[in-house]
Parts: sequence; structure tokens; C-alpha cells
Amino acid sequence: VEEESGQELGLDRSTAKDFHFYHMDLHDSEDRLQLFPEENTRMRKEVVQAEMANESRGAGDGKAQRDLQEEVDELVHLYGLEDDHELGDEFVDENMPRTGVSEYPPYVMKRRDPAREQRDWRLSGETVEAEDLGFGGWGSAGQCQDLREAYRYTPGRASEEYECYVIPEEEDEEEAADVFCVTCKTPIRAFQKVFDEHKEHEVIPLNEALESAKDEIHKNMYKLEKQIIEMENFANHLEEVFITVEENFGKQEQNFESHYNEILETLAQKYEEKIQALGEKKKEKLEALYGQLVNCGENLDTCKELMETIEEMCHEEKVDFIKDAVAMADRLGKFLKAKTDVEISAQPEFEDQTLDFSDVEQLMGSINTIPAPSAPVINPQAPNSATGSSVRVCWSLYSDDTVESYQLSYRPVQDSSPGKDQAAFTVTVKETYCSVTNLVPNTQYEFWVTAHNRAGPSPSSEHAVYMTAPSPPIIKTKEIRSCEEAVLICWESGNLNPVDSYTVELTQAESPEASDVTESVVGIPTCESLVQLQPGRSYIIYVRALNTGGPSVRSEPAAVHTIGSYFRLNKDTCHPWLIISEDGLSVVRSERRIPARDLSSSDTRFTRCVAVMGNLIPVRGHHYWEVEVDEHLDYTVGVAFEDVTKQEDLGANCLSWCMRHTFASSRHKYEFLHNRTTPDIRITVPPKKIGILLDYENSKLSFFNVDLSQHLYTFSCQLHEFVHPCFSLENPGCLKVHNGISMPKHVTFY
Amino acid sequence: MALKQISSNKCFGGLQKVFEHDSVELNCKMKFAVYLPPKAETEKCPALYWLSGLTCTEQNFISKSGYHQAASEHGLVVIAPDTSPRGCNIKGEDESWDFGTGAGFYVDATEDPWKTNYRMYSYVTEELPQLINANFPVDPQRMSVFGHSMGGHGALICALKNPGKYKAYDATNLVKSYRGSQLDILIDQGKDDQFLLDGQLLPDDFIAACTEKKIPVVFRLQEGYDHSYYFIATFITDHIRHHAKYLNA
Repeated sequence: VEEESGQELGLDRSTAKDFHFYHMDLHDSEDRLQLFPEENTRMRKEVVQAEMANESRGAGDGKAQRDLQEEVDELVHLYGLEDDHELGDEFVDENMPRTGVSEYPPYVMKRRDPAREQRDWRLSGETVEAEDLGFGGWGSAGQCQDLREAYRYTPGRASEEYECYVIPEEEDEEEAADVFCVTCKTPIRAFQKVFDEHKEHEVIPLNEALESAKDEIHKNMYKLEKQIIEMENFANHLEEVFITVEENFGKQEQNFESHYNEILETLAQKYEEKIQALGEKKKEKLEALYGQLVNCGENLDTCKELMETIEEMCHEEKVDFIKDAVAMADRLGKFLKAKTDVEISAQPEFEDQTLDFSDVEQLMGSINTIPAPSAPVINPQAPNSATGSSVRVCWSLYSDDTVESYQLSYRPVQDSSPGKDQAAFTVTVKETYCSVTNLVPNTQYEFWVTAHNRAGPSPSSEHAVYMTAPSPPIIKTKEIRSCEEAVLICWESGNLNPVDSYTVELTQAESPEASDVTESVVGIPTCESLVQLQPGRSYIIYVRALNTGGPSVRSEPAAVHTIGSYFRLNKDTCHPWLIISEDGLSVVRSERRIPARDLSSSDTRFTRCVAVMGNLIPVRGHHYWEVEVDEHLDYTVGVAFEDVTKQEDLGANCLSWCMRHTFASSRHKYEFLHNRTTPDIRITVPPKKIGILLDYENSKLSFFNVDLSQHLYTFSCQLHEFVHPCFSLENPGCLKVHNGISMPKHVTFY
Repeated sequence: MALKQISSNKCFGGLQKVFEHDSVELNCKMKFAVYLPPKAETEKCPALYWLSGLTCTEQNFISKSGYHQAASEHGLVVIAPDTSPRGCNIKGEDESWDFGTGAGFYVDATEDPWKTNYRMYSYVTEELPQLINANFPVDPQRMSVFGHSMGGHGALICALKNPGKYKAYDATNLVKSYRGSQLDILIDQGKDDQFLLDGQLLPDDFIAACTEKKIPVVFRLQEGYDHSYYFIATFITDHIRHHAKYLNA
């Protein structure tokens, strides 16, 4: 323990001055508790020693000790110091008033021993020092966390709660002080006032001194708490910065590392290449030299051989000598003539290698420059952001890279196999969006974007497909059919390629306020729509086409009036001898006729009776129309199912109901035909205008003389499907249809 | 003139009543039937006069024709007088079914002993309407007439002789000289009507006359129907509607 404490003390002493966090100087009061004064540490030592002494005192002081212990336990319990019992012990011991020992905290604190905390920190600091050389040691979030844990203080215990508690003196102690000398700031005994030392000094009762000391301490406790909070916040902030530093470091490290590695690799590569080249060169030289050496050796051998031969010759008889000598002389002559190459073929020096480090230099240079940006992310097309000729393309950059401009490229999407790529258009912009115009409607384009800065371009973003809105449809105004409750409109798409759907928009044409309200029918899959309307109004109708890019502009408008039922005669059903007028409401049978054998059978056209059908809107309810006829004309008017046999007369089957007029021998004959039967009806005044009422609800078909408001006849007919008005002309003449008119009153009775 | 109510029965929301009064034209007590539709409680209604055929009284039409529903729906007051003066004790009045009692023919007799009492034309066109107008919630400007058999003929001659009174003696001849306002005549004829088959009824002549004079008629020859009230009941609704079209316009 002693060693530890010594060490502790040693640390404390040396570092007491370094750390100002816990200096109480902030509050500038002389009365501040100086937690790290020399005296305190000394005292601690004394305390520890005292502790030991106490322990060694053993049973002798047992009673006193035990009493003390009880009080300590009380205190501990009172102030919740169970965890810090060691602390408590220390303090309790310190709390025992001793003469001459004046400066130590007279109350217990929950806070941890600051000295201990100091030590903790320092220790962790030590470990950090060791790791400083490496990467990522000091500065890890964990370390940071530990620190903060170390400094954590739980505010909430109001300063007021801390009571100044003074342990009553023990009998066997020295006499207690009972007054307080302000001048000396020390408790003294009353009689001491009388003595020289404190004679001139100001003295107040001990209790007063206690109170004021308590107050001071309370006040400063509060300030201390505040400081703690501040410091904690600051510590939080620091932690965040910590982490950011770490992150930024990480980025920089990565960047540098990759550059650095590149450089190293390049250098290594260069080294290898150069060494290899040198090696080759060496080999060359050595081989050349060796070659020379070999030649030299051979030459030497030959010389030596010749020399020996000559020597031998010299020992020969004169005759032999002369013989050989001539031969030898030849030989020698030849031999010596041959030049000996004594030039060294390979120089020992190697050329100075000029190392080309330009690329390395460049690489090193580029470390300092900003990198090229990372690839932007192109956004998918925002709904309804396109027009027929333009789209608004947006993208984002998910990094902090510097970007000077963006380059957006696009081309129409090829649906055929990639053979020849269509050239792409490019636009340069500074923002992260661009409205691209001059595009073709209802077409898909692929877009991609790159970010640019001084260092160069980023990699390309993904290719996104954007689509232009379609062209507006074209309403087939001549085929509009309506009645009092609905209208059936059809239109041409207006686009070569399919669109996703159509929208029909209606506004009421009459009142200006009502015209602001637009009703829309959306999601129409085909090029026709049956829309419910209010009777007796006028509407303007528009159609739009819709695709993923958005809606087209409105089509040209069409007007609809919900008065009566409106239809036109259907060209597709028209017998070849009939001609329909431009407005689709009159039909004429001329004198000329195509020979009957030329008429081919048809499902839609009448071939036998010279008839035509009208296109009535397929809506149940009432429909009323009028037909203008000539008194002398043989005609048939009525209704028929769409699939009525076109090879028969109207009224000859059970798929049609009609009124037939025949004028013969100056007599008017009227028949009301269905399934070839007619009631026996005489009509005295031939109608010039026939009103026809089709009543789906009551399953009735009625005919009227419009001019006389006279009811002629009513069929009861089972109308399980929709029927169409039908008209036939048995001899040349003309029928004119009037529709889109309200039912006259007399008709309402039927 | 005092009216004595003989009976009253609620029917289709309205009231079928029978009254008796002393007729000035006919010099005897006469009964007639009146149907008041529900609408008559609150407002004046048009009046539709029904003239019955030979042998009928005021009871036949109101019991057998089933007209009440249509009359109630269209809001028409329907008046059905008797077909001749009764109890006049004229010699020979009961001798034949088609002359005398129950056979007033809706004409005013010009000969004795008939001319004192048999003035059905005047009764039907003058006295009765005045009586009705005075005692019942009817609109005097809106009046129409229809009938069956003898009554049909009666209706025609009343209308034809009083242009503008109704919205016709021998109807055919009357038609030929009719110069009145627009008429709209609806005639139903049972094809199996014995009288037709016997040639007593000559609709073709009438039609021809109307055609020539351009008097609008729709004449319907109804297959399988006879002269009876079954025939009447079948088509009464069409006829009431025909009248309502003009009376309620």
C-alpha cells in the first residue's frame, strides 16, 4: 500500500500542476478547497499511515475505532457512499479534527477522488503514448469514451443536500476549538484569543464560522455543477470532432495510400526493368570478352605449338631443318600476317543510366492535386416532369468532391440489337439538373452524366431512361354519340407507339365559374370512353395521352350537348345505293343503281333492303329522334339490333321493329312491322315528320306524327341488347334525321 | 238543380259516385256517374265524358270497364250519363232494344211522342256539362268526349258538331263538312265485333271521309276483340291517355 501510495503521490506531485481542469482557482476564493495542495497530499500520506496505524492499533483502540466505524457507516449510508467506501474511510479519518490539521474538506463528497481520476487519466495517457507511433491509437472512440466515463458526474444532488457534518469530538481527544479566528483562518480555542498570537485578530464564534464556511461551499458546489455540465457538453462535441477527424483522416489516408502505392509500384517496376537491362548488358559484355579470351587462348596455343615445333626443328639435321624451315617460314608468315585482335571488345564501364522518372514525378505531383470526382448518381425520372418535347433530368453527387461542371449525354433508346450505336448528344451544365429540349414525343432516351474538375472526369453514372410525354390524341368528332345522360367519345392515339393510358377531361361550357371545374376520367386503356353527364348541359371535352414521362397536352376540344340523343348514320352499314350526307344526318337514294349481282354479302352492310343504321349511344333510358319524310316516299323507319340480318327487310325478323309507309294508288298504307306481322292500323293524315321514342326502361318503341302531336303506335319490345335506329328507302328519295332535341311534351305521356 | 247522391265508393284513391237529378231537357229523373280523382280534392280537373252504348245505363261503364286507375293517374273527372230518359212512359219505348229506352243515340228527337223527352244531344252537350261545372271541381275550359258503340258515334257527332268545344249525327257526313279546329280522333274497333261483321258499322267510310278532309284519325282494328266491355277494358287506358294528353297539356 505504501508503495502504491508513494507512487500515487509521486504522480500526483509531478502532475498536480499540469492539469487545470480540477483546479478550484476558477472561483478565486481563498477559501476554496485546494484539493491538490502539498499539504493535502501530505495529509493523505499521513492518513494512509494513520490508517495503517489504526489498523495496527488493533483491538486496543477497538472501542473507539468501532464507534468511529459506526459513525462512518452512518455517514456512508446517509450519503450513499457505499461504492466509495474507501473514499469514505479516508475522508472519515480526515474528518476527525486534529489540531493543526486544518485544510481538508469538512464534508463528504460523492464525487470520486479527483486524484484517482487524475491518475486514471494519466494512466490512459501513458498507454496512449505507447501507441502514438502506430496508427489509430490515441484518438479511438473507445479511449475517448473511457475519458468521458472517468469524468462523469451525476448532477441532481443539489448542493444543499450536502451537509456540513462535523463529527463531535471524542473525549480522549484534545480540547476542541470553539471559536474561529478570521485572521488566521483557523479554529482556535477561546482562551487562545487572549494570547499574543490571536490577540489582535478578529474572532467569531465557531458556529458562525461553520455556517459561513458551509454557505461558501454550497455556492461553489452549484457553480461546480454547472461547470461539469459545460465540460460534459464540450466533451461530447470533442467526441464528434474526434470521429470526424478520424473519418477525414481515413479518407486522406486512403487517397495517399493509393497514390503512394502507385508510385512505389512504378518505382519497383522501373527498378526491375533497369536491373534486368543491366543484367543483359553485363551478359553481353562478358560473353564478348569470353569470346575474345577463347580466341586469345587459341592463338596462344597456336603460338606455343609453333614455338615448340621451331625448337624441335632447331635440333634436327640440316637437311630436315631446311625442309621444315621453309614450310615453317610459310606457316609462320601466314600466321603472323593474320592480325590479332587485341582490342578489348567490351568495355568494363557501363554507361551512365539515365533513369526516366518523369512518370513517377507526375504521380508524385498528382498526390497534391485534388482527385477527379466520383461518379454522380443519376435520378430516376420524376413523375409528370416531362413534356412532349423535353425532359428534366436530375442527378446528385454523394461525396464532397470538388466539381466544376457536369456533362450530360443522351441518345434515344435503341430497341434493336446493338449494331451501330447512335451518336449521343452532350450538354455541359453547372447545376445538378438539366432540361433537355428538342426531343421526340413518346420516346425513351437514355441519359448518363459525368462530373468534371481540373483533375479530369469522373466515371460515368449509370444510364437512366427518361421518357418524353406523348403527343395529344385527336378526338373523332364525327363519331361522337350522346344522350341526355352520357356521351361516347372515341379518338385516335396521336402517337405511333403505344401509350400507357388516356385521360378524358370535361368542363361545362355555360357558366364561367363552372368552367373552372374540370372533371377527369383517368386510366382509360382504349381509345374510347363512355362518360356520364348531366342532362341539359353543354360540355367541352379534351383527351390526353399518358405515359411514364407524364401527360400530353390537351387534344383539340370537342363540344357535347346533353339535349336529346345525338347520333350519326353509320357508313359501315350503308347499302351501296344510299349516300349519307356530310353531317351524317341525311340519306339519299338516287335513281341510278349498281346491278344487284355486284353486291357481295356483308356482315355490316345492308344488301337486300336499301337501308342504313344510325350509331346510337349504348346507354339505356329514353332516346327520341325525328325523321323528315316525303308523303309519296315508300320508307321504313324504326330500330334494330346491331346484328340484324342485313340480307332481309327491316321488320321481317324479330331483330327489328319499324313503321313502314307505302304509297300506292293514291292511298297511304301504314304498317308497324315486327317479325313480319303488323296490326291493322289506318292513319288518315300522312305524317311528314315522324317522331320515334325508344324507351328501354318500359321496353317500348313509339311512333308519332310530330306536326299533329298525334300518337300513331307503340310496340312492346324486349330489348335485351342495345338497338340502333334504322332507315330504309324503298324508292328513290331522301330521309332527314333530326336529333339532339328534347322530347316534346305530348311524347312524355307515352 | 238539386243533386241527390245515390252512392259513393272509394276507388284508386278517388271516389266513384252516382247522382240523381231532375233533368230539364229530358223531363224526368236522370242518374249519372261521376268519378272524382284524388287530384280533385285540391284543384279543378278536366272533365271527360263517356257515352255508353245501346242498352247501357250509368252503371255498365263504371262497373265493367276498369277505367278508374287511368283516370286516377291522369287526374281526370269522368262523367258517365245514362243512355236515354227513363220512366217517361212513352208508348213503344221498350219495344226494341235499339230504339227508345237505352237507345237515345245522343240526338234530339224531332218527332212526337219522342221529342219531349228524347233530347239526349242537348242533355249531353248542354245541360249535363252545366250541371257538372256548377257542382263539381271541374275546369269548364277543358272538356273531352269518348264513348263506345252508340256512345262512340255520339262522341264523334258531339265533337264534330261543336268545333272547339271538345279538345261529332252521322259522323261520316259531319266529317265531310267539318271546318273546325284540329281534332285528334282515336278509334279502336274489335275485329270480331259482330256489328262490324254484320256490316252495321262502316268505319271505312268514316276513315275515307277523314282522310279526304285531313282530319287526323288513328283507327286500330284489334284482332280477336269483340264488342263487349272486355274489349273496352283492354283499351280504355290508351283512350284515357289520349284524352289526358290534351286535357292536361
